[in-house]
Amino acid sequence: MKILPIKIENFSYTVKDNEILKNINIFSEEKKITIIAGNNGSGKTTLLKFMHGLIDDPSNSITWGRNHTSEIKEKQSMVFQNPILLNRTTFENILYVAKKKRVNERNSVNKIIEKLNIESISKTDARYLSGGEKQKVAIAMSIIGNPKIIFLDEPTSQLDPVYKNEIESIISDLSKDDTKIFMTSHDISQIKRIGEEIIFLDKGEIIFSGRVKEFLNKKTNDVIKNYINYG
Amino acid sequence: MLSNILETAFNLIFTLNEDLIEIISLSLKVTMSALVISVIISIPFGAFLVLYRNKLQSIVILISNTLMGMPPVVLGLIIYTLVSKRGIFGFLDILYTPSAMIVAQTLLITPIVVSLTYEEIYKKYKDYYLFLNSLNLSNFSKLKTLIYECRYALITVTLTGFGRASAEVGAVMIVGGNINHFTRVMTTAIAFETSKGSIELAVALGLILILISFIITLIIKSLRKIK
Repeated sequence: MKILPIKIENFSYTVKDNEILKNINIFSEEKKITIIAGNNGSGKTTLLKFMHGLIDDPSNSITWGRNHTSEIKEKQSMVFQNPILLNRTTFENILYVAKKKRVNERNSVNKIIEKLNIESISKTDARYLSGGEKQKVAIAMSIIGNPKIIFLDEPTSQLDPVYKNEIESIISDLSKDDTKIFMTSHDISQIKRIGEEIIFLDKGEIIFSGRVKEFLNKKTNDVIKNYINYG
Repeated sequence: MLSNILETAFNLIFTLNEDLIEIISLSLKVTMSALVISVIISIPFGAFLVLYRNKLQSIVILISNTLMGMPPVVLGLIIYTLVSKRGIFGFLDILYTPSAMIVAQTLLITPIVVSLTYEEIYKKYKDYYLFLNSLNLSNFSKLKTLIYECRYALITVTLTGFGRASAEVGAVMIVGGNINHFTRVMTTAIAFETSKGSIELAVALGLILILISFIITLIIKSLRKIK
């Protein structure tokens, strides 16, 4: 099943007369890391949730290849800004997702634990993990079943530089493994390090969409200029 | 005088007095039966209400919360009219039997267990909403996960129901009739023995009730720590 190109056409999203997303148009056909950036309240997370299917799309304005979001739901996963883990051990958390995705359970779980180098916390209850460890477990849960698309909502915003670096290299590896990544980020240096494509939102509207290199040279727009200078 | 009463009461307990044991056994049988029936109905139902949020759900929660505060004697009276010979369930012929007492206790604690279950599951669902929906799970699968994740809280809810049922006197007195060796339970026996001045057995039963309450509190406290 082809999931690219992803196409969003004229999507708007309003909550109680407040237009969160305005006339969104996106076209992306490469398996690269696409960063969704913008200032606070610009609609980044809402856009990500919409793409993942957590917000209904009654007008079917999004297509993945020739499919609608509901048809490829099992091929995607999402990591949230505040990792959501069950009150179980690391292993059991990953196993839970494996069971729900009907993949070869224990084998896959052990492979992913090894891949993300989290063997030392595999028997630790999720409640006792640090922020960085929780985020790694959440990523482990998101990659089980080899999803074709992963959405990451500011996955490193609350992490120290060491964990940030670790998570970034995991994300880069995933991208090389043929997974399309959509990731929101505030951090301009992170965007420079791992971003390839960027969609920049301002007050719910896309004001830039293209290569990160082009974005970084775009000095004509004040919002983008300030974002690059102070981000 | 008090020391004499206590001495006799402890004596009844430690010599495993036959009447005492019979009353305690029936009390536990009635309460446990009501609790099991109530939990089987209420926990899935409370969780179901969280997942299927609509107008009906608000009404059910409102009714459930209202019934939580219903005086047991009124509930006893309602059940009495329903199961008495002229009542619509008179054909069941359960008035003044342990079955009627089980029905009364079940109806008494079900609203409590439903409301508390709803609250616990709702709190958890708010935390897991994005995660569970992200996995594209069926509502049944979400329901199972939420109940499992709330397991300690739900044991506390169950114990709260047990505490409420075991301490109840009004409704079981009305529908059970407090018949000796047949429908006499701890609470009705305490009321009856006290009224006829035979306070030793009442005190012994009171001590057992306090002990049960103490054990429940201890379990709830330790489960809260785990939670």
